[in-house]
Order: sequence, then C-alpha cells, then structure tokens
Amino acid sequence: MAGVNGEIRSSVQFQAILRLRWQSFAHSLRTTRGTVELASHVFVTLLLLLGGTAGAAMLGLAAYSFVVEDKVEWVAFLLWSVFLFWQLFPIMGSVFTETVDLTGLLRFPLSYRSYFLVRLAYGALDPSTMLGTCWLTGIAIGIGLASPRLFLWAATVLAAFALVNIALMQTFLAWVERWLAQRRAREIFSIFFFLLLIGLQLLGPLAGRFSGSVGPEVKVLGSRFSPIQRVLPPGAAAVGIDGAARGNAAAFVAATCLLLLYGAGALALMGIRVRKQYTGENLSEATTGPALSRAQLVTPGWKLYFLPAPVVAVLEKELRYLGRSAPMLLTLVTPVVMLAVFGLGPARNGAFLQRSPDLSYPVGVGYALILLTNLVYNNFGADGGGVQFFFASPVRFRTVVFAKNLAHVAILLGEMLILWISVSLMFHPPSLLMTVTSFAAVLFAAPINLAAGNLLSLYSPKRVDFGTFGRQRASQVTVLLSLLIQGVVIACCVATFVVARQLERPGLAILIFLGLAAPSIAFYVLSLRHADTVAQARREILVAELCRV
Amino acid sequence: MSSAAIATQALTRRFGELVAVRDINLEVAPGQFFGFLGPNGAGKSTTIKMLTGLLEPSSGSIEILGLDFLKHPVEVKRQIGVVPEGMALFGRLTGSEYLNFVGRMYGLDRETAAQRTADLLEFMQLADQPKKLVTDYSHGMQKKLALAAAVIHGPKILFLDEPFEGVDAVAAGTLKSMLQRMIARGATIFLTSHVLEIVERLCSHVAIIQKGSLVAQGSLEELRAGVEAESMTGTEGRVTGARLTLEEIFLHAVGGARAEQELSWLG
Repeated sequence: MAGVNGEIRSSVQFQAILRLRWQSFAHSLRTTRGTVELASHVFVTLLLLLGGTAGAAMLGLAAYSFVVEDKVEWVAFLLWSVFLFWQLFPIMGSVFTETVDLTGLLRFPLSYRSYFLVRLAYGALDPSTMLGTCWLTGIAIGIGLASPRLFLWAATVLAAFALVNIALMQTFLAWVERWLAQRRAREIFSIFFFLLLIGLQLLGPLAGRFSGSVGPEVKVLGSRFSPIQRVLPPGAAAVGIDGAARGNAAAFVAATCLLLLYGAGALALMGIRVRKQYTGENLSEATTGPALSRAQLVTPGWKLYFLPAPVVAVLEKELRYLGRSAPMLLTLVTPVVMLAVFGLGPARNGAFLQRSPDLSYPVGVGYALILLTNLVYNNFGADGGGVQFFFASPVRFRTVVFAKNLAHVAILLGEMLILWISVSLMFHPPSLLMTVTSFAAVLFAAPINLAAGNLLSLYSPKRVDFGTFGRQRASQVTVLLSLLIQGVVIACCVATFVVARQLERPGLAILIFLGLAAPSIAFYVLSLRHADTVAQARREILVAELCRV
Repeated sequence: MSSAAIATQALTRRFGELVAVRDINLEVAPGQFFGFLGPNGAGKSTTIKMLTGLLEPSSGSIEILGLDFLKHPVEVKRQIGVVPEGMALFGRLTGSEYLNFVGRMYGLDRETAAQRTADLLEFMQLADQPKKLVTDYSHGMQKKLALAAAVIHGPKILFLDEPFEGVDAVAAGTLKSMLQRMIARGATIFLTSHVLEIVERLCSHVAIIQKGSLVAQGSLEELRAGVEAESMTGTEGRVTGARLTLEEIFLHAVGGARAEQELSWLG
C-alpha cells in the first residue's frame, strides 16, 4: 500500500510514544487540577533532589573518609544501604511510586525488543532510581575528591552498579507482581517478605549493637559473610573500587564484569516476564474450582447489629478490598518493622526507642497513622468506575464516606493492638498511662486526618489499583497536602508530649489531647455533613477521573 | 405532578460553551419499553446520566414516578435500577460479593440479598466461577453482572446504557428475556443502544436525539407514519412500498447520508 513502509522503524515508534506522553501531559494542563498537579510534581521533584543531594553529601563524605583512611573496601557498607533502599523502596513505599501500565501499547505492531526497552525506560523513571543515582554520584565524587586518579575507575564501577540496580529493581517488581497475582502465593509471600524485611532491617542495628563487644562467634560469622557479600552486587562494586585503588586491574575488571553479568542476568529474568506480557499474559486469579451448591455459592453479608445495613455493606467491601491488596497490606505492616529497627538499634549511638522505650508505643501509633493516610486521603481511588454506583444508589454519600472511615478506624485500631503486643514483646507492655495517652492522641489526630482525607478524596481523586505494585499513589496534590497536615498534627503531638514531660505531669498530655480532640471531632462531623453537597458538586470530576481506564 | 414514569421538561446540559443536551421534553409512560437513540456524541449518555442522578442538569426538570428527582433523589433512586456507561462495578469483589453488596445498599435484608444473589448468578450463568474477581470477568460477563445488580432490588424503572454492547448472542438472549419479563410485570425500561434491530424488536416507543435536541419521539408506528407522510408529500423523495425499518426512520430523523468520499488507499 502506498505510504506504508515495508519495515516499521523502532525509532519512529519511540518518537510516537514520546509524542503521545507529551500530548497527554500538555492536555492535562488545560485544567486547573492538571496545573496544580504539575506544580506539586515540580515541588516533589525538588524535595527529592534535596533529599538526594543531602544523602549524596553524607555518603560522599563517608566514602571520602574511607578512601583517605585507606579502607576503600568499606565503601561496601554505603553501597549495601543504597542497594537495599533501591530494591526495597519501590515495594515498601509502593504508594509513593508510580508505574505506568504499558500493556496498552501492545495493540500496535511494536517489536518485543522495542516493548522491552520502553518498559525499561519507563521503569527507570522512579524516585528510588533518582535518589539512588544521586547517592552513587555523591559516593563517586567523595572518592574522586579523596583520590582524583580513582574517580574514573570508581565512576565506571558505580555506573555498572547503577545499571544492575535499575535492572534488578524492575525484575524484582515484575516477578513479585507475578507471584502476588495468586492469592495463595500472596499469603505465603507476605509472610516471607515480612520476615525477610525484619531480618534485613535488623542487620544494621544488630551490627551496631554488638560492634563494641565483638565476640569470637560474631567475628567468625562476619568472616564467613564477608566472602559471600563480596560476590553480591554491592560487595563486588566495592571490590572493584578497592582493586582500582590498589592498582589491581584484575580485581577491577573481574568485579566490573561480575556486575555486568548481574545486570545481564537480571535483564534476562525480566525478559521472561516481559515476554509473557508481550504475548498477552493476563495475571488473573481465575480458578475453575468444583461446582458449589447454592448455599456455598452465596454467603450472606456481614451483620453488625449496631450499624445500618448500607454502612455494614460498605465496611465489608472496604475490608475485603484491603485484604486482597498485597501492596497495601505490606504498607500496613511497616510500623512494626520500623519499631523493630528503631527499637533494637545501638543505644549509645542514639537509638531513640532504646533510651525511651516508653515512647515506643505512641511513636508506633503515630507511624501507623501516617501510613493509613494512603487509604484515607484517596478514599474512592480503588473503587474506580464503582464510584458511579454510589451516586446511583439510594444511600447518602455521607453514609458511604462514614462507612469508609469506619473501615479506616477499624484498621487503625487493629494496628494499635498489634503494635501494643509488639511493644510488649520487644520492650515491655506500655504503661496504662502511655496507652491512654496514645488513644487520646489518636482521638485528636484521626478525626482531623479523616476529615481532611474525605475532602481531598472528593476534590482531588485519582484512580489507583490496589492489586498492582506502583499503582496506588494518590494525586501529587493530595500527597503534598496530606504530608503538610500530618506535619502539623505530629508537631502538635510532639509538643504536647514535650510539655507534659517538661512539667513532669504525664497525665497533662491526656487532658491536652482530649482538649484538642473536641475541635478535631467537630471538624470531622462538619466535613461529613458537607460530604453530600461536595460530592454532588464534584460528581462529574469524580466519575470522569475514577472511570478513566 | 405527571402520571408518566419518566418526564423531563426543558432538560438542558451545558459543558462550558457546548450544549450537550438542549431543552429535552421526554415522556415515558409506565410499562413502556423505551428506546433512546442517536448517533455517537448526540447526547444519549449525557441524558441518561442526568436521568439517573449521575450528572446535574444545567436547567430543566426531571420527574421520575411523579417525584422531582432534584428534590427527592434518595426516594427516586430507591425505585430505579441503572446500568451506566462504565457499568459501576467494584473490580476486586467476586460476583456474589458484589451483588450482595448492592442488595444491602438498596436496603434488602441479608437473607433476601443472598437469595436474590444466588438466583441472579444462576440466571445469568455466572455461578460456575464463584471465586473469580469481577475485574477478571470478560466484558460480556461484566455486562450481565451489571444488569443483575441493577435489578436485584426489583426496580420499577430500569435505565440501561448500551446493555447489549459486547455481549454475545446467547447472553443477549438471556438479557432480552429478562427485560421482557420485567416489562410483562409492569416495569418501565429506558435503554440506549446502537443495535437498531434489537431496539426495533424490543421497544414499543422510541425517541431520537441529534446534536443534543430531540428530533423524534413516539411509538414506532407513529414515527413510521410520520416519515411515510413526509415521503408522500415528496419532500424526502423516498419511493418504496415496503414497511419502513427503524434504521430507515433513524437515518431519516438524523439526516444520515453516507460519506461519499472514497478512501482509495484502502484498496
């Protein structure tokens, strides 16, 4: 046919995809919301750059001192922390990262190679990659300042290390997504990952704790682990830099080749997943189990005598949604993990909770509340097109919002209970005073968050996918405002604790929190009363945004 | 207060400068199977969204079963069922969980909701994969589930936006028989569809919308007679002795002339 080339050039397709992204971006600026979203993106990018630069400066300084002190191989410590962050943040902080669903491109005559490259490129546009790259740059600069002749060699190794991280992170995500597509695997994986995380997070604090009194067993363990870590990517990178510093070209070449091999291996593993996707794989939980009897087919919904049926129905739906979302469940277990990290760290080096174990419970509860904002501030995001049902049903919108908030409160209470047990096991049972104070603080903090979350959910909704890693992030505006609100709430809580401690009247904190809870609850009730009006006024935007495929 | 099941007066919807629906006066009697037709972008979905409370009218009024929708939204919604354009499903529930949920939201008690859920899943042939999430359903299965959800509370009026789109012949047969049963029991059905053959077979009354304005409304016979009368006067120049199909009435109403330009490059 005239005008059609025999061969479709990949470069033309890449240009078309880039153009498509640009046009989508430009069209999004036609609305006020799109413009505000862009401003938020710029702000967040600046924040990330700030974090990246600060981290780079610290890591650079550490790398500088290692080189100056002729302990170049110790750079491995820095590289391990960068590596763990790079690989785990996209999963643990899945609500902060966003991946684009590229399967829509498969309807076009895109070659497998092109699709793979596009996926790789999109996957690299990630906060962890941005921060990781900044930090590695800092390390390279630190090494270069300490020993200018080492800079190029170190930069080469670190570039290879960065490539390994980018490839490995995407491979990891792709496989985790595959495993978690099945419910059984999800359950097993959640437990395994939780234990793994605790194990990994405890490595550093435990090392710090025992560093002052290293027993012979620990030394043996350390000497056994050292050769293993040297062949893993961070260790190999450190070996490469150390080799270059000592003029050992063979070590440098071997380490760099090993890194490239890791990168290639990761890409090959990723290729298996991408190939499956390319050929139209559908990760579904579809099962063809045995035929069920009528009674087995349908079990009546939940029954809670003290709540109206629509509230119970929404509550049940919300909790079922959460139970089927591995990313959200993982997010919700992090308070316990963080408690372990902060609690078991080296006391003399400032492990905060070691010095004040009494504060571990309120700190854990505060952290749980922060993570809960992922759910609260984008209430309808996971409902997608289902939000139309809420508008079409004979139930007031405030009832739906209230039921969703009840689900959030139920989760928070569940988390508080788990944290109470965890604190009891790790330290000692929180005192009655501290338990009551924490509850009083929640009485103040939760209603504010729920009220603000409800309003932002209506004003700045964003469709999210609870089942896929990297597709749970709320709109950037929501993320920023929620951080701001959380900042104010936490500041109030900290100030209250400090005042009560300074005055040596711990009970005062309860009174202050209860005093603050009154306006907070009033604000919540007010926001709930206005939910119908706001929802009706915003329904077109809500439906348009959440029904978007 | 009107005795009509659905009545609108000067119903208008603007999106900025664009008037998507302009001064629509609809009247659908109780028990009617009413087809709402129009070319793409004519304003069908906008109208059905306004009639079901998914979109606020810019002006005009809507009465459903004699109740002003804007004043009594909850009472009206209690008596209607809706399958909107996006189907309004919750993807991460199973089919039975979803129907149970909808039943409870419409005020059914637990046992009734569970019983009707089982009935509907069996009727719609969705019972064989009970653990499958709605998001994993095929398009046709989702359509059937959406329809099941719209009728679980026994609505007096059913609004359906393209119910047969993407549905196979077997499933379409199931849906049609269910809709006809509802009509036989006195319910009113308001549907939009592009499949004119289905509308012609099912609907007793039709309205046609074009560029936001109603261009025809009445029973099929009335519309047919109208077009034939115009042909007799010679204004349209149609010469045929055969009975007019709905497609011909539709094309006449919307002035649909086929594109004359030839796409030579298609070969």
